[in-house]
Amino acid sequence: MNSHFKLTVTLLDHVIADLSRPHPFAAERAGFIGCKVSRNREGILILAHTYVPLQDDWYADDQRYGCFFNADAMRVAMQFALTNDASVFHIHMHEHRGRPWFSRIDLRESRKFVPDFWNVRPNLPHGTLVVSTDSAAGLCWYPSENKPTKISRITTVGFPMKFLERLT
Amino acid sequence: MNDRYSRQSFLGTNSEALFQSVRAGLVGLGGGGSHIAQQSAHIGIGRFALFDPDATEFPNLNRTVGATFEDAISKTPKVIVAERMIKGINPYAEVWPIQLEWQKDFESLRACDVVFGCLDGFSRRAQLEESCRRAMIPLIDIGMDVHKGEPYSISGQVVVSMPGKPCFKCLGFVRDKDLDEEGRRYGEAGGNPQVVWSNGVLASTAVGIFIQMLAPWCRINPGSAFLGYDGDRFTLEHDARCAVTVNQNCEHFVSVGDLGDPFWKP
Amino acid sequence: MAGEGELRELDQLCIEPKEFTEFDRNYILLPQLRLPDGCTPAVVDALLCLSARDGYATRLFYAQQITTRKALNWNAQNVPILQRSWFAYSWNYVASGRPIEVLAQHLKALQ
Repeated sequence: MNSHFKLTVTLLDHVIADLSRPHPFAAERAGFIGCKVSRNREGILILAHTYVPLQDDWYADDQRYGCFFNADAMRVAMQFALTNDASVFHIHMHEHRGRPWFSRIDLRESRKFVPDFWNVRPNLPHGTLVVSTDSAAGLCWYPSENKPTKISRITTVGFPMKFLERLT
Repeated sequence: MNDRYSRQSFLGTNSEALFQSVRAGLVGLGGGGSHIAQQSAHIGIGRFALFDPDATEFPNLNRTVGATFEDAISKTPKVIVAERMIKGINPYAEVWPIQLEWQKDFESLRACDVVFGCLDGFSRRAQLEESCRRAMIPLIDIGMDVHKGEPYSISGQVVVSMPGKPCFKCLGFVRDKDLDEEGRRYGEAGGNPQVVWSNGVLASTAVGIFIQMLAPWCRINPGSAFLGYDGDRFTLEHDARCAVTVNQNCEHFVSVGDLGDPFWKP
Repeated sequence: MAGEGELRELDQLCIEPKEFTEFDRNYILLPQLRLPDGCTPAVVDALLCLSARDGYATRLFYAQQITTRKALNWNAQNVPILQRSWFAYSWNYVASGRPIEVLAQHLKALQ
């Protein structure tokens, strides 16, 4: 499934500002992005509209992981998806230049929690994103498909436009 | 970098690949859109979606770049004229020639990275803007008019509607009273006067803004843009209304429900 | 926005009417609306706009132009609403109100 994730420059700046803040014990911050979806001639459009940051006390203090969120975080994210009829994409940041990718732990954990969003919004795609200082990558779980697919394109819309990921 | 783009290398070492991957949507392939198609092809834009239901006729020949005498005799569809022109400049360009009103092919419109609106009338502009906002697509609109006055006066505009930023209504370009007046009109208004040189100025400016959006060569960030064209004095200046609103957020396209497909099914 | 009761009144004329809001205007989608005798087609998807737009206090849009005994001025063509394309004839001064009454006023143009 060809997918194009879009967000405004303003929203991305807001996300990066939050993800860049230090946390008392978590090495990385994370959040959720609420999206609407649409279909185009090449696949699907995922249109980001709202950033839901993880509050400080939603992180679990577990030194095995850079960032581990608790059930409160998941509950809020699922409620957001339900209330707003939203696709939800988890997002976190790797502080380097160049194309990022998910760690083994990121992938393992994503496979567990992303499909849970289908409990509230089964007809919508959900997924996860990772951003670096100048690039991004993502995975999208499409309804009725067991495995996620790489998000083909990630674009920030504004002056200037930035094509953070372009697989096609 | 390919030799053919060496003169625009200041746009960045990755600009050639970037331009090739971008899809430009051109809604209206008449006097304004035909210029934009030609210039975009020269720059190296690699993907095009062309929307226009009309065929070439003799009254179009005074301004439609790429259209020939033979096209007017044969009534060649305008999108085919544009496709031929684009591919004559860049044979590797991917072109979707859609001989339909754009409203009959939303999925192709939504596949565009940037859309150029080259339509007549405020209602049509407002409608295109709504669909572009729904798909989070920047819209660059151009248009010109010839007014009666001593004895005539040429004017025009280039307006950018950037998702999240001021829209046509925020900028005062489209007003409810203009939409109401057009909506009540009985039938089509008829062909407006149009000339190639004014269309060329506006189209070239629109293409420049487009490239600045993709590969900025300076630190100036327009954010939004409303440039007014005085075709009698040959000036193009920022409209005073834009100066006030350019750094604000849009007041009209604010509802999350206005994004995406309201009838989404997997 | 229409109340649930007002929506249910429309059930007699179409299949599962549903409310939408787009760009601050309120609409009711009327799938498979049954049209008055003499119309071709007899059944069509329609969209009732209960908000002022384009100089009309309310407006009834159709998924296609309707052929009727009367000549109508279809001065709204391919109007994009909710990512579908719609048509409407010129029939003004129907004030907003109870949806079934607004609809009845607009359908008078087809009779």
